[in-house]
Amino acid sequence: MTIRVLNPTSESTVAALEPAPRLKSLEGKTVGIISNGKEGTAGFFAHIDRLLRERYRVAEVILRTKSNYSAPAEDEIIDEARNWDLAISGLGD
Amino acid sequence: MTNALNSQYFDLEDAGDAQEFYHSRGWTDGFPIVPPTPTAVEACLDWVHMPANEIIGIEPVRQQAVDAEKLAINAVMAGCLPMHFPAVVSAWMAMLKDEFLLHGTTASTGGCAILVILNGSIRQEIGARSDFNVLGSSDRATSVIGRAIRLALINILQVSPGAIDRSTLGHPGKISYCIAEDEENSDWPSLAESRDIPKGASAVTVLAAGAPRQIMNEWTIKPEEILDTYAAEMRANMRNYSIWSGNYAVIMPAQHREHMRVAGWNRNEIANYLFEKARIKRSEWSTVGKGSVVREKGDIEYCALPSPDHLLLVAAGGPAGGFGAIIPPWLGMKSQAVTVAIGACVDCEPPAAN
Repeated sequence: MTIRVLNPTSESTVAALEPAPRLKSLEGKTVGIISNGKEGTAGFFAHIDRLLRERYRVAEVILRTKSNYSAPAEDEIIDEARNWDLAISGLGD
Repeated sequence: MTNALNSQYFDLEDAGDAQEFYHSRGWTDGFPIVPPTPTAVEACLDWVHMPANEIIGIEPVRQQAVDAEKLAINAVMAGCLPMHFPAVVSAWMAMLKDEFLLHGTTASTGGCAILVILNGSIRQEIGARSDFNVLGSSDRATSVIGRAIRLALINILQVSPGAIDRSTLGHPGKISYCIAEDEENSDWPSLAESRDIPKGASAVTVLAAGAPRQIMNEWTIKPEEILDTYAAEMRANMRNYSIWSGNYAVIMPAQHREHMRVAGWNRNEIANYLFEKARIKRSEWSTVGKGSVVREKGDIEYCALPSPDHLLLVAAGGPAGGFGAIIPPWLGMKSQAVTVAIGACVDCEPPAAN
């Protein structure tokens, strides 16, 4: 005598996203940082900005901050990110 | 109604075998589960007149659909009988509204739980209690409904600790967090009525909530003095945890409610008083070790409630004792409390006649 039971999980498989092509160099590129806007982000991302410019000779670093750090970035930020060579999605907890 | 179930199934030796099978796959909260057999799951679906593939809602951030069958499986595992299932379904409908921000509440390091508050005749139909030990294991109905919410989060939306759930601490309400309002022993309109649900309808309210913070004041009968104790606890939460305005729940047991009643204080008077009193200046952060983030904003005043209407005042608790509790919101208004009527669906077809 067996007992039949059901799978409680969603059973859905998420299609793997294709990673963006890696950049060979950051020199002269535009890098965007999408910040979650938390207290710790100010100093941390200022440091990242400096490193990118000084060590990797990035042409421009653009910082954009989400209005709600627990929600996805606004469509305008995602649209703007299409123009960047590299995007960093950053937490500052 | 016959329901064609779509879930993968397993044929196991017995119920004991099922326990280890589910635990070993991370499909439980650590407690024993009721094996979700097709018969038990179909009984839940039949009770709510829903086909297995009925979409309860879609989690907005990750775009994951939640269907009735998966919810029923998890409800059975939690110990729900079919009569408990409508409250589970309605709570999930509420949780999947945009303004609840389910993903943020369940993924946050803040570690909140989802508080479910029941109103209306369904409380009596399912034997939900509102008196002794109301914030503990007061009865079967509220225990299993609250647990069903959590198991469904774990299994349907991958809200397992260390997966989607990134809570630093969490709290015991993340096992089960469901209460029923004591409408029979309260002169106030119910919480649901105060949130525009018609009198007589059953409803659930969900709140992304921290742990209860208990207060005690049995040394006065003056409403102002009693509420000063509640307001002080709200201010303490604002200083020590989160300063942002949001939906605070206040659980007021019978003894304090009686003093309010005698003095002629209703829901509105209580909410207005707490709205005025539960305020702090940002400079108060410096008294609790957070002076570094006061900056030049020390004179800004913050109110626990965006408006008196944001208070979720709930009549509940045992008949004796000058206790009460505040239940703070997860993070201001980033997640808003949602109330929905149980069984109300504006675009549902009525059940087919036999």
